[in-house]
Amino acid sequence: MRTLFVLFKTELTLALREFSGVLFGMIMPLGIMMLLGILYNNKPAFEGADYTMMQQAFPAVMTIGICATGLMSIPLTIAGYREKKILKRFKVTPTSPAVLIGAQFLSNLVTALISSLIVCASAVLVFDYSFRGSLFPFITSYFLVLASIYSIGILIASLSPNMKTANILCSIAYFPMLFLSGATIPYEIMPAGLQKVSSLMPMSQGIILLKGISLDIPVFSPVKPVIILALTALICTAVSVRIFRWE
Amino acid sequence: MLNVLNLSKSYGSTQAVKELSFDVNKGEIFGLLGPNGAGKSTTLECILGTKKPDSGRTILLGNPADSLHPSIFENIGVQFQDSHYPDLIRVGELYAMTASLYRKATQNRDELLGLFGLEGKIKQPVSKLSGGERQKLAVALALINNPEIVFLDELTAGLDPRARREVWQYLEKLRDKGLTIILTSHFMDEVTRLCDRILIMQNGVASITGSPDEVIKQSGQKTMEDAYLYYTGEKGKYNENIICTV
Repeated sequence: MRTLFVLFKTELTLALREFSGVLFGMIMPLGIMMLLGILYNNKPAFEGADYTMMQQAFPAVMTIGICATGLMSIPLTIAGYREKKILKRFKVTPTSPAVLIGAQFLSNLVTALISSLIVCASAVLVFDYSFRGSLFPFITSYFLVLASIYSIGILIASLSPNMKTANILCSIAYFPMLFLSGATIPYEIMPAGLQKVSSLMPMSQGIILLKGISLDIPVFSPVKPVIILALTALICTAVSVRIFRWE
Repeated sequence: MLNVLNLSKSYGSTQAVKELSFDVNKGEIFGLLGPNGAGKSTTLECILGTKKPDSGRTILLGNPADSLHPSIFENIGVQFQDSHYPDLIRVGELYAMTASLYRKATQNRDELLGLFGLEGKIKQPVSKLSGGERQKLAVALALINNPEIVFLDELTAGLDPRARREVWQYLEKLRDKGLTIILTSHFMDEVTRLCDRILIMQNGVASITGSPDEVIKQSGQKTMEDAYLYYTGEKGKYNENIICTV
């Protein structure tokens, strides 16, 4: 536990120092929150809707931190540690390199949580956001989305023989999920064709789930998104465990 | 401390190590020599279990390499060739991180770093250290857990003469306290000064083993460097050929 704590602290310090995680994981979602708030504050989501644009967008913006940490920081750092033979160095110590990867997960988890809390705080304090759904299913779903996205991240780390490949795969996963899933650009304003493509992504399913719960939509059924997210998490983790190489 | 018996390892059609055998005793500095690609690093990796040998066996601190329990590494120090570290990490952070990997009491940080002239560098990013300082740090980190046996792969590559001397003196002190050291090096002055016994490899095969004096004597040469060139086939025929073609 002491080892994990020291490694976690180091990973978090390095992530804050590196700053791109802070920029894309914390400052960007805050900026988007502000933008949405200023543009749409208190406007209904659509004609006759009983919830506001802000209430509709809030759960999506909350997931940007998950996306930035899970599809960028985690795979890039782990692929980098493998390429630099840092994982191999751990193999000749009493501590398994898996502990370093665990610390990397924890550090990103904390970053994602801080990001979501910043989004929450700005929504509530600046724009009088009020949460309509039930909190416990929402938080559970949040962690399901996180598990699903992080499993994609570790799959990318497992598939990439080097940093170059990791960079390409991260960009392929990250940018579509960031811009087309509804995390940044609201899903509702996309053309129907794009919505169809978008709904194929686990991230979109996560946002649909979080929206459904947070808006307490009566006709909403969480079954499909929950199954897709859980399957993604299971399959990606299982494949990663099989193909992951320490060096 | 270490027994290697008929170790063989190949990569595809390249035979990296072939039927290599040697023993290292407690409190000994053992040098593994040979040109680049002779199989030194592969040998070390097979001993440490990071590579799986095709045949033969190695026993490290009484444990066969194929069943090395992680806890045995409490007593082993390792410095790989070309050490890399996480981006932006500082010396003090890297030290704390490395120390945290061991359960048993580790060295006093300032004392150990002080021995390598790095005491003033705690807050410096590792990437901003000079090549020599980084190399000294790598050796210091290999000794962080007070190991019984330490593997140093090209330990003084990139060090200036003074720093090399300092590292030598420190290693000799540790050897006198009972530390076993296995090193690889391309510097024959270093080998002559430090090593109790050496093994010269060529194309994965042992050419000769013995104390530096014995090796020089057997080769019929005057210096360790000449003996090394003699046993690695780089003197005489090959050199003259090169000179002729030029």
